[in-house]
Amino acid sequence: MNKDLKVIIERLDAGFKRLPQTRYQVQITDDPYDKTYNFFLNYQHRGRRLKSQPLHSIRQYRLTYLEQLVKGLREHTQLSFIYVGFTGQRWPSNQRLIQGKRLKDE
Amino acid sequence: MNYQNEPHGVFFLIDNKSFYASVEAVARGWNPLKIALVVMSEASNTNGGLVLATSPEAKKHYHLQANVSRAREVPQDPQLVVVPPRMNLYIKRNLQINDIFRRFVANEDLLPYSIDESILDLTHSWRLFGKTPREVAIRIQKTVRRELGLYTTVGIGDNPVQAKLALDLYAKHDDDLIGEIHYSTVPEKIWTVDKLTDVWGIANRTATHLNRLGIYNMYELAHVDPYQLKGEMGLIGQQLFAMAWGIDRSQLNQRRGPKNASLGNSQVLPRDYVQQKEIETVIKEVGEQVASRLRHHHKQAGCVSLGIGFSYAASEADGRSGFHQEMRIAPTDQNAEIVAAVIRIFRRNWEGQTVRNVAVYTSRLCASTGLQLNFFESAKAQIKRTKTDHVVDAIRDRFGFTRLVYASSLQKGGTAIERASLVGGHNGGNAYE
Repeated sequence: MNKDLKVIIERLDAGFKRLPQTRYQVQITDDPYDKTYNFFLNYQHRGRRLKSQPLHSIRQYRLTYLEQLVKGLREHTQLSFIYVGFTGQRWPSNQRLIQGKRLKDE
Repeated sequence: MNYQNEPHGVFFLIDNKSFYASVEAVARGWNPLKIALVVMSEASNTNGGLVLATSPEAKKHYHLQANVSRAREVPQDPQLVVVPPRMNLYIKRNLQINDIFRRFVANEDLLPYSIDESILDLTHSWRLFGKTPREVAIRIQKTVRRELGLYTTVGIGDNPVQAKLALDLYAKHDDDLIGEIHYSTVPEKIWTVDKLTDVWGIANRTATHLNRLGIYNMYELAHVDPYQLKGEMGLIGQQLFAMAWGIDRSQLNQRRGPKNASLGNSQVLPRDYVQQKEIETVIKEVGEQVASRLRHHHKQAGCVSLGIGFSYAASEADGRSGFHQEMRIAPTDQNAEIVAAVIRIFRRNWEGQTVRNVAVYTSRLCASTGLQLNFFESAKAQIKRTKTDHVVDAIRDRFGFTRLVYASSLQKGGTAIERASLVGGHNGGNAYE
């Protein structure tokens, strides 16, 4: 397992406490200013504020690397992923869009 | 008023719109002006949580204030995002922003004023970047937005104080995020301010003092007899009077360092500390942290001070909110000597009150050029003790603070391990450098 993935999984497992009535999501952001991919764990108890915990920043700013990482993460967790800042970009392996629609807060 | 002999220049005071909140929003791919986000520290000593920063949207909808609002005042609204602070990231962004500013001014004309504010003296260089200072301001704003994703507000003035007032009073409410004050517009821009506390440098106590003198707005402040004001308030009175007229004679490129540097740390404890042993553990830890910082700066301290703040209940019973005492010592940067001195101050003054706040400061700093030996121990033992401190520092620098801690830090009440990664008391970085 590579080091980035290990860090993400470690922090994800620490933050994923499986609280009742709480939605957990992994947010992956393309940060074009820093040239990094940022990972966050977002969780929200029903009707409460959304909390967003930083997990890791990937310095290797290549989609092939990100895809490999996401694949590794998929094997570890069933949580849903949301992508922000990827509008128009496609996964290198199958040319599918990464992020469907641009969010209104972007 | 004849402003002819006052220094005329082009000064910008640039600050970041909701700095911490914006940095966190950008890192998540959100627009800092659209998202409702608060940066909240949930450390154990914040009594449930302290709001460090709020995005403009959150300010508007929930009327939250940075550094004042508590977690219990933040509504449980599903639209609101709460994130933990990352001080190291903000410091990094601040350095990047100042690097951008250096493309517009020479280094000596740039004065970083706080973590999110900088003063720029563009007197000599603004013509290189636009036809008017306002155009240059827009250009700087666009550069920062393009390269870092952050929005900046710019106050423009003929001198630094005008720029600061333009920023606080006008830029923050302007659509372009730019405000301007010049000598010619002082009457319409500064004297029209009705609330004294809106002005930089005037908070509640100063405002009350001015009220007592019959001064209730900036116009009245500008038209008071300056000699009378100086007689009543001293130098500050003179300074306030100058500000009311938009006068500031400081020269950015002639920096004045502090007359007497000091170095220290303080912390708010997560609960009431009652037992002497527990309190002394914390004092020892803070003392060691300060000593370690002295060594990193290659300084020795000739004076240590200890400040103790009581809990609310104890200060009501006692009548004082705490105590503070200084002590002169032979210049040193060693753990043992600094800790011994502060513990002595503590035992001399403490009478069993519950404690919530501990501060250790050192002053009368001098360059650490050698070790003053004494007659009462063998030289070998003294040198060995000094070396031990340095070896511990080196190990911590290399492997991290928590790799090597004193056993006392593991006792009940110790805070050093938990606080090792804090910056400015908040999450993010190594605080022992």
